[in-house]
Amino acid sequence: MRIAGLLLALAGWLIPIVTVVETQSTTIRLVVSLAGIALTLFGVLVVLNKVHLKQAIWKA
Amino acid sequence: MINHEKGTKRCSWAVMLTLLLFALSAFSQTAAPAGNAPAAAPAAPPAPSMTTPLDVKAAQPPSTDDLAKGDPGGTKTGTVSDIVVSDTAKGLTLADMTNQVGQNRVAINFTWTLITGFLVMFMQAGFAIVETGLCRAKNANHTMMMNFMVYGFGLFAFWVCGFALQMGGCAPAGTLGGASPLNSEHTVTLLGKTWGLFGTHGFFLSGVTYDVGVMVLFLFQMVFMDTALTIVTGAAAERWKYVAFSVSSIFMGAITYPLFANWAWGGGWLSQLGANFGLGHGYADFAGSGVVHAVGGVTALAMAMIIGPRIGKFNRNGTPNAMPGHDIVIVLTGCFILAFGWFGFNPGSTLAASGNGALRIGSVAVNTMLAGCTGSFGALLYMWIKYGKPDASMSGNGLLAGLVAITAPSGFVSPISSAIIGLIAGVLVCVSVEFVERVLKLDDPVGAISVHGTNGIWGVISVGLFADGTSNYGGSWNGVSGGVRGLFYGDATQLIAQLIGVGTLVGGVFVMSYVANWVIDIIVGQRVSAEDELAGLDIPEMGALCYPEFVLKPESMPTGVTASAAADFKAPLRVAQETA
Repeated sequence: MRIAGLLLALAGWLIPIVTVVETQSTTIRLVVSLAGIALTLFGVLVVLNKVHLKQAIWKA
Repeated sequence: MINHEKGTKRCSWAVMLTLLLFALSAFSQTAAPAGNAPAAAPAAPPAPSMTTPLDVKAAQPPSTDDLAKGDPGGTKTGTVSDIVVSDTAKGLTLADMTNQVGQNRVAINFTWTLITGFLVMFMQAGFAIVETGLCRAKNANHTMMMNFMVYGFGLFAFWVCGFALQMGGCAPAGTLGGASPLNSEHTVTLLGKTWGLFGTHGFFLSGVTYDVGVMVLFLFQMVFMDTALTIVTGAAAERWKYVAFSVSSIFMGAITYPLFANWAWGGGWLSQLGANFGLGHGYADFAGSGVVHAVGGVTALAMAMIIGPRIGKFNRNGTPNAMPGHDIVIVLTGCFILAFGWFGFNPGSTLAASGNGALRIGSVAVNTMLAGCTGSFGALLYMWIKYGKPDASMSGNGLLAGLVAITAPSGFVSPISSAIIGLIAGVLVCVSVEFVERVLKLDDPVGAISVHGTNGIWGVISVGLFADGTSNYGGSWNGVSGGVRGLFYGDATQLIAQLIGVGTLVGGVFVMSYVANWVIDIIVGQRVSAEDELAGLDIPEMGALCYPEFVLKPESMPTGVTASAAADFKAPLRVAQETA
């Protein structure tokens, strides 16, 4: 799950970059950039953070 | 009898003669004979030779006797006699004067950049006392020492390789003399475009980079880098092993920070999004909301996840407990020191006080002040309305949040926009602190993630919204002509460039920082033992108390923490139950 979270974060970073190269449409670039950030934040704050919360000291 | 026929004939001849004379006169005016053409403009005298000695006496320099009498009014100091002459035998020439003008401009820019760099260096003191004041007294020595030594660790790492990676291929800094030793950028060609990744000139500031202009640039960039490194110490305070902090800081100063900084400021691919893909002026970050603060903030986020919360921060049901700092006086004093240093951070980022639009430094400074002011207002009002009291530490964090947020747009926006950006930042930092603590359940003793991460990202985005196109730093930015302009002033593509930058920060920089610190955790171990943490890090880690004459309040074991939890922290937990 840790690796999955990191991979989601990377995907959220790289997909908009590829989109910017492949299309000239401002609207598509804007939407995909925002979606990429959302995907990155999901990977970091939800998937990855969940891994650490499972082992949290206050849950022992 | 009157002879009408003869009179009529005479009259006709007179008219014809008159008309003929008139025509001749008109012709003579429109076709001036060659002999009456206006004189040609005298030929311009030949331009003086650059090497011909000039008549210095005509400038009436003061005599030696005059100067010996003193100059209380300053009218005799700074004259033609002070111009450096290249050949004393020949005397002053036009070449000497022209060279002096150029050197004066560069000297002004050198002085400006160095002085503002010194101000930013002093911010280390501000960060140190803000963080220490927000921590408990038993950890004060350790927290101060992290902020003290991060200066040395970061400087060393940056000198060895960080500066080269960041600025090794940044191209001539025209405001600092235009010297070109930093001209080697490692690039890759992908999808038909060239992507700058990192520089390769400047390791140890040796070879061709042993250069006066490069030295100024190194000092200025180094103090910015150190700001990013010191941010992380706040999020991991009160439980970070000193050896792990040392390794992590060196890695960040050598690799993580310089890579993103190259992409944004060193001529790398982020800055070229405009030139390569028509996205505004590329990723635009005037003084580093993204490069410095968000890099520090996302690294702080990674550290907070890896290191875990302090013992007693969360109850078994996940609700947080307040762990107030021990000295609000130094917290708010530190905030003032930071606000003062920010006058170097933002205005200094012009790298000039002469030419290239540098006179905008006054606007940049005012924008900085305004955002800090409204940031503190936003936080103060939020806390006062929601919790009934004006909270001191959050007011300080609100000031800092406003300053962080304005850092990127400060050179591109108006005062009104600055005030708005700061106000939003002040509210945002409070909301973010609550989110990090209550939703993410991460422990951030000083609010580093919220102040620098969240508001660093807000600052990056605000460039794409509020930049008004009135700035003119040499006619272009990142190789694209014209002033930077955001969505509200007609350019949506600038916002897209900023969003790509945000994605790089959260996706690229965070992942890099997380993996690096995860490896450090495996090899060295990031966190101290539970016993040391409860006792306070001053003695176990530093060997000395910060306040040896004070009697510190004994800690009681929080309920819900058992010995089995020690397995996560590599040491047995054996603290007896004590009453407070």
